[in-house]
Amino acid sequence: MSERYAIEMRGITKAFGSVVANSNVELNVKQGEILALLGENGSGKTTLMNMLSGIYKPDSGSILVDGREAVINSPEDAKKLGIGMVHQHFKLVDVFSAADNIWMGKERAGLVLKKDRYAQIREISRKFGFEIDPKKKVYNMSVSEKQTLEIIKVLYYGAKTIILDEPTAVLTVQEIQKLFAVLRKMKEEGHSIIIITHKLNEVMEISDRVAILRKGAYITTVETAQTNEQALTEWMVGRPIDLNIDRPVMETTRPLLEVRDLTIRSDEGSVAIDGVNFYIRGGEILGVAGIAGCGQKELCEAIAGLRPIEKGQMIHKGDNIVGLSPKKILEKGISMSFIPEDRLGMGLAPSLSITDNMILKNYADTKGPFVNRKLGRADAEQVIRELEVVTPSTETPVRRLSGGNVQKVLLGREIKAGPNVIVTAYPVRGLDINSSFTIYNILNQQKQAGVGILFVGEDMDVMMALCDKIMVLCHGKVMGVVHAHKTTKEELGLMMTGALDLSNKYEDKPAGIAKDSRFGEAEQGEEA
Amino acid sequence: MGLHIVKRENCPLWKRCCFYLIAVLVALGIGSVILLAIGVNPVAYYTRMFTLGTIGNKIAYKTYINYLKDFVPLALTSLGLSLAFKMRFWNIGGEGQFIMGALAASAAAILLGNTLPSAAVLLLICVAAMAAAGLYGLLVAALKVKFGTNETLLTLMLNYVAVYLLNFLMGTKAGWNFYLNANELRPVPQKHPDSSLFPTIPMGGKFELNICVILVFVIGLLIYVYLKRTKQGYEINVVGDSIGTARYAGMKTNRIVLRTVFFSACLIGLAAAFKMGTVGTLSTSITADVGWTGIIVAWLAQLNTWVIFAVSALISMLHYGSTVAAATFKQVDSSFANMLQGFILFLVLAADFMIRFRIVRTRKEDRNG
Repeated sequence: MSERYAIEMRGITKAFGSVVANSNVELNVKQGEILALLGENGSGKTTLMNMLSGIYKPDSGSILVDGREAVINSPEDAKKLGIGMVHQHFKLVDVFSAADNIWMGKERAGLVLKKDRYAQIREISRKFGFEIDPKKKVYNMSVSEKQTLEIIKVLYYGAKTIILDEPTAVLTVQEIQKLFAVLRKMKEEGHSIIIITHKLNEVMEISDRVAILRKGAYITTVETAQTNEQALTEWMVGRPIDLNIDRPVMETTRPLLEVRDLTIRSDEGSVAIDGVNFYIRGGEILGVAGIAGCGQKELCEAIAGLRPIEKGQMIHKGDNIVGLSPKKILEKGISMSFIPEDRLGMGLAPSLSITDNMILKNYADTKGPFVNRKLGRADAEQVIRELEVVTPSTETPVRRLSGGNVQKVLLGREIKAGPNVIVTAYPVRGLDINSSFTIYNILNQQKQAGVGILFVGEDMDVMMALCDKIMVLCHGKVMGVVHAHKTTKEELGLMMTGALDLSNKYEDKPAGIAKDSRFGEAEQGEEA
Repeated sequence: MGLHIVKRENCPLWKRCCFYLIAVLVALGIGSVILLAIGVNPVAYYTRMFTLGTIGNKIAYKTYINYLKDFVPLALTSLGLSLAFKMRFWNIGGEGQFIMGALAASAAAILLGNTLPSAAVLLLICVAAMAAAGLYGLLVAALKVKFGTNETLLTLMLNYVAVYLLNFLMGTKAGWNFYLNANELRPVPQKHPDSSLFPTIPMGGKFELNICVILVFVIGLLIYVYLKRTKQGYEINVVGDSIGTARYAGMKTNRIVLRTVFFSACLIGLAAAFKMGTVGTLSTSITADVGWTGIIVAWLAQLNTWVIFAVSALISMLHYGSTVAAATFKQVDSSFANMLQGFILFLVLAADFMIRFRIVRTRKEDRNG
């Protein structure tokens, strides 16, 4: 007798307009196993899982649950079949307590909220070893707590198969270990788990088998124990690829940008950056690590002049830049590109053409009341040629480009302006491996040209390979600046959660203050 | 069901036009059903409506002149609104800005009309109306920029302030109230002196083209160039698309918002000046709802400057035509036009959906896999 699967997906095809997201995909999950679904961004992993959880319907193909053909028309159907999904973007009501978030989807909850709901939720979390307070409101929760809540919610509804969409993307190393422990426990209880990811080390660590998708097509499923990272990458990308990121060693210059005792408030008025010191030299990449919301965004905005500075100093080449307008800061050669989660929020105007986006920062420099689009078009053509941007024309709205090309346009424009300091946040967010490496190369070229780069990143492996030094932030405070080639992921993880503070490791030299500081110059300049 | 919705990539222009045309035809079709139900021959009614009753009419030229009197303020108001909408500033206050402009224009005409040469009076009427309407709009923009207030609510509420101010001035007999005719016992609006009326150009026959019609097309051209070619137009586009990006690029977004809203309201004020300079008397119904209809026109035209003219022409035709037709078909009130306009708006939105998506049938063999 052939093996019984908890879930079987046969010949699944799904198209959005002319874009085929999944074509003839096969996937099966055994009971009590952890299956990793591996693929680059845009390879159709989430689409496939959305069909399993009832959000989309396949154009063709069939889904079998416990050997029986199932029709999943809605998330409600999926719930009844014991399939639950934890989405990448949490679907929680912020003002509700943990218990109420779980409760509200229940059919027989009735009209009156009963007191015993807290006890019920507490019971189920104890069973799987979760630590969560059922009465805690979601807006008071950390990212990892929210994720735990999502998992409890899925378990509460009796899911036998649990899908996790990139669960580790938002967690620190320690939190990931905790999550993996929970997953192993769930596996022991007989649950099947599908975990979507594109991080190879995690695949090797947690999964029993790996299914690989590439550009919407199903490639293969292999036993994790019988494969290695290099082989998985080749399947995922479709050709052998060098996974090493270069870190050219450069002669560094005196500090280009120095920040001292910087304090900034967030939009809500709380302190987002608290007495931060750091400096960037020419020819080096300084990484900024930290969990989401630790003040990276506010720091970038402050450097670009977009956010008022409460206290502290920022010295660029010996000149004070606190209080200057964004325009003035641009003119000094400080470029900031921030890729928000939706990619287009800051830095590009999505409905405008590539040409129009090229002239964003210099349209006002020409004489007269009219915009000179000729220069913009020439710039656009150059960036398209040099960075190999895939686009029908220079007049295509940026919105229509794929993620990698959007980021190339953004970085291309920033570099064309010839900056001496580049502040870039999440430049490879959502990009496939190839595009990511193109971006790393661009940054390295700039570094070799003597530019100082502040790189706010998410992926610790990438930051440790690309950056020269890494500054770790936790709740707006600097936990220390470490050499990227000397640190470990564990150390960074501890610093990110505030468990390890290396900011006063060397008592003679507080972290983030350069020996050959140019602060003196600024003061002399002011006196003179 | 076996039907599902699929995103359409690029819809060619001819296909889009077809969808919109179908939408308008279906709207007229629904209208005919209603006409039939009340016992009116739709063909006869529509013929009369769309020819504006000019067939077999000896004074057809008058109809054209009156039609243009409706068309000019509507087109200009929509143009003004489109400027603010491009920047995603939801100026719902066209009505109020139009009234403020009309009050200022009327004051200038009545108080100065007999003392200055005609050209100077006309210039003053325009400037006064633009300033009054512009400042009325600027107030909302300033509050938004300074305190982050919601412009939709504020412009909407200021409409009512303006409407009741107009009603008050049109109904209060008093020595100071120069808007009313001092020689009448009842409140009757004061007629403007002839020097405050816009000149007309004889076009052969009895038809005379009001200079406002030419001016409105010139303004349309200027706005087109302003939005497409100038730095300020570029700024409006960037601010409308992504205000975060605009700030980041070093644009002074507050100034851009204030300036654009002021321009937007100024154009609406100018529309009021053109109206006052052609009809020559203020009344409580002076706006003819252009502040509202203008919003519909701007959206139907998808803020495209030239399409605004086409849509304004069509909508004015509905409104004016229905008034004309109501004279012949006593059963059909002229508000039939409003109903048709509503149908058209809804069906054009439906056509938009068809342009962005298409409905395909799920193939049978696929389902069996």
